[in-house]
Amino acid sequence: MTHTPRDVWFWLSALALALFALFLLYPLLNVLSASLAASPSGQSGWATLLGEARYRTAIVNTLMLGAVVTVTSTLIGVPLAFVAARFSFPGKALIALLPMTTLIVPEVIAAQTWLMILGNNGIVTRAFADWGILIPSFYGWFGLITVMTFIYYTYVYIGTLAAIKGFDAQLEEASQSLGVPPGRTLLRVMVPVVAPSILASALLVFTLVVGNFAVATILGQRVHLLSVLTYQSFVSEVGTNPVMQSTLASVSIAIVACALFAQRWIVSRGRFEIVQGRGAKPRPLGGLSMLPITIGAAVIVVISLLPLATVVAGAFTRARGPVMRWGEWTTANMERVFLSASDPIVNTLIFAGIATVLSLIVSTLAGFLIVKKRNILTPGIDYLSSLPLALSGTVLGIGLVMSFNGAWLPLAGSGAIVVVAYLIRRLPFGIRNASATLYNIPNSLEDASISLGVPPVRTFLKVILPLMVPSIAAACVLVWTTTVAELSASVVVYSAGQETMPIQIFRLIDSNLMAQASAYGLVLVGIILVPILIATTVFKIDLFATK
Amino acid sequence: MAGIRIENLVVGYGTEPVISSLSLEIADGTLFTLLGPSGCGKTTLLRTIAGFVPVRAGKLAFGNRDVTHRPAYLRDIGMVFQDYALFPDKSVYDNVAYGLRARRVDETAIKTTVSEYLERVGLSAFAQRLPAALSGGQRQRVALARALAIKPTVLLMDEPLSNLDAKLRVQVRETIADLQREVGITTVLVTHDQEEALALSDRIGLLRMGRLEQVGTPEDLYARPVSAYVADFVGAANILPVEVAVPTISGASAQVRLDGMSLEVLAPTGLPAGAAILVARGETLSLGAASGATTNAIRCTVRRRQYLGGRTSFRVATDAGRDIVVEAHGAAPTFAVGDKVSLRFDPVRTLVVAS
Ligand SMILES: Nc1ncnc2c1ncn2[C@@H]1O[C@H](COP(=O)(O)OP(=O)(O)OP(=O)(O)O)[C@@H](O)[C@H]1O
Ligand SMILES: [Mg+2]
Repeated sequence: MTHTPRDVWFWLSALALALFALFLLYPLLNVLSASLAASPSGQSGWATLLGEARYRTAIVNTLMLGAVVTVTSTLIGVPLAFVAARFSFPGKALIALLPMTTLIVPEVIAAQTWLMILGNNGIVTRAFADWGILIPSFYGWFGLITVMTFIYYTYVYIGTLAAIKGFDAQLEEASQSLGVPPGRTLLRVMVPVVAPSILASALLVFTLVVGNFAVATILGQRVHLLSVLTYQSFVSEVGTNPVMQSTLASVSIAIVACALFAQRWIVSRGRFEIVQGRGAKPRPLGGLSMLPITIGAAVIVVISLLPLATVVAGAFTRARGPVMRWGEWTTANMERVFLSASDPIVNTLIFAGIATVLSLIVSTLAGFLIVKKRNILTPGIDYLSSLPLALSGTVLGIGLVMSFNGAWLPLAGSGAIVVVAYLIRRLPFGIRNASATLYNIPNSLEDASISLGVPPVRTFLKVILPLMVPSIAAACVLVWTTTVAELSASVVVYSAGQETMPIQIFRLIDSNLMAQASAYGLVLVGIILVPILIATTVFKIDLFATK
Repeated sequence: MAGIRIENLVVGYGTEPVISSLSLEIADGTLFTLLGPSGCGKTTLLRTIAGFVPVRAGKLAFGNRDVTHRPAYLRDIGMVFQDYALFPDKSVYDNVAYGLRARRVDETAIKTTVSEYLERVGLSAFAQRLPAALSGGQRQRVALARALAIKPTVLLMDEPLSNLDAKLRVQVRETIADLQREVGITTVLVTHDQEEALALSDRIGLLRMGRLEQVGTPEDLYARPVSAYVADFVGAANILPVEVAVPTISGASAQVRLDGMSLEVLAPTGLPAGAAILVARGETLSLGAASGATTNAIRCTVRRRQYLGGRTSFRVATDAGRDIVVEAHGAAPTFAVGDKVSLRFDPVRTLVVAS
């Protein structure tokens, strides 16, 4: 595959590497080095961190929340995946929709709708209060754990389901033929094989909890959390002293990086070669055993879909200030969103549209360089492109603002920085997606085209790109849906006038204007849902095959 | 169309060269086979000719045209890949038309050419199918048609038959041989199947660790191997250590001692006195009664007898305990295991080569 050392691919690699270094490495180094500088008060950020109780508590709380949510998500995700993979029962088709719910309901809306149900003014809270029952405050640990669990269990579910489906059922039969009963067979034969996948997705959940901004800020209140403190010190420190925000950001980078290394280690150790066997056929559940399983699954499905129902109801419910008048319907909220306050919608569409297109171009090209055109620069591209996994949105946003508010590349303040933030956050997914597809395209296809007289770049466009179209289309939908819902980085980098829908919703929740927030939420869900529906029904794209 | 000339070619990937200073001349219109064990550099040499592996030193020319540093897509080659490399999203027709379109041939001419070549490989009826809807042998023939349709200067094939089952392999082998002769295109074929090489080639180059051990016609390699390595790789042979009594010149008969017995054999290359290797193919040896003639023969005992239909295979042991395999054709003498026999060496077809 090596051509002359300085061919067109080499220069493209150099360009990609330079861009990644500028927009990824440079902000990261800025954050890390700023944490080492002395603040005006003379104390270094690390000394403050260790000296002040609330920072220490925040670290402990963050780790604890991560651990607890990881466990609860696993406790829901794994059994659900097992049941879905091995049994068939009435209503099972609904479970297949579950991975969609995390995609369709952005975190900020999930937090908001849970508040509308169980918050101080929530429907359920008020109803119970009328009967004289006091529900404990949803703010704090109760809310954090509940909401995050129901957001993140789908990651464990998807990872586990894939592993169980990939497991060769003949191994189980072999074990049973050797005299081991079904239950012990499961423990001895299947568990060791699927355990690495479960652990890997559980660790992914851990990193997402540590980096979570929306739920943590909206529901955390008196529970100090790293991501919230990082954001708060950014908001209060802008322009004055970046030490504390950088220090807190560095701590979160360190925690996430450790979890990611552990994940890599587990994945690399636990990769068993499964000789293509056949998966087990789902067994119909009959009689009594059906009841608890069906009910359990149904409860999870209902709870997962609750935010969706709430946001629809909230959008059409009359509100006077913060007070929701449940039962009184109106279209005023929606009218306001579309007629007099549509800027967030326009901003979201423009920023996310540009970012999605750029992201697909960059990740397709970078994936192609990494997989098919290895040279001395491509390992660098590979490593840099997975860096965003270790950066929570808040940290990335702070890095970008610190790096590009200066004179030589003043992106801060312009919409460009929001696009850059979007682009970088979705980069690892895009590149992984492109690489996975490219690994399945044999090198000989490219050689064949070249041998028939088509130059390299045209060969890429004529032979490789058409084969990537289905996966690019799937990636397009997934990048779009996750980008329009992005909050944690954009809320850090945006300036007045650039509010996107999630930012606007976040601010409205802060002011307790739930009806308005629901109206934007409904539009946001629509913007997410329509492409998904078109992709899966009209173009028959399998969205989750690539995830 | 043109021959291929390779001069002092050096090719490699890391620090160590895979091919070091290789020179080779392939005549216009012939089918040349690169034969050799796994990892010897066959694919590397073929891909260097194609232009996919850069040349470190040396020269590569198609006819009078120096192509040493010419990019692959400008070399005007037709290539058939081991996994066929058919574009999965394009129909059979579009696959074959692909190279013609790249050359901006107009569509009516493309239609004629594609039809012609699909006809030649017997796939006219399959023009609109996608590759996934073809059998292995059919895919292989599409790949062949696609490579030939651009009327390339040279045709390069890397183990084109290795993904086919044994019977199909013989069929497609015939197709390739027929087409190559019809079109008269200079062809380089890579294989590690010696039978395929013998059956198809005008000339064979046996590659060993990046060097050409021997280049010649199939008969040359089989009947006149220059080394024990060649003899062993091309067909089965008995390889026996011997002593050359007096130095010999090339092509002359030589006296060698095997286990103390003196034998007259042929030395294809000149040899000094001393240790050498005797190469005797099973079918050049003959067995006789122990009491019979003893010129150019040694005494043996029959250890194993296998009746194989058209021939009978014996394994005999010399008095010194050395195993030798003898293939007897037609009306085989009926020796049984344990019989004492006289093993006769053919003075012209038994070879002695340097060790
Ligand atoms: N891309 C590469 N990078 C580094 N070394 C390589 C590469 N391709 C081949 N080699 C090495 O070059 C040597 C020759 O490989 P080559 O593929 O030419 O062998 P081959 O004769 O075609 O073998 P086979 O019959 O198994 O296909 C081998 O030692 C191989 O390990
Ligand atoms: Mg090879």
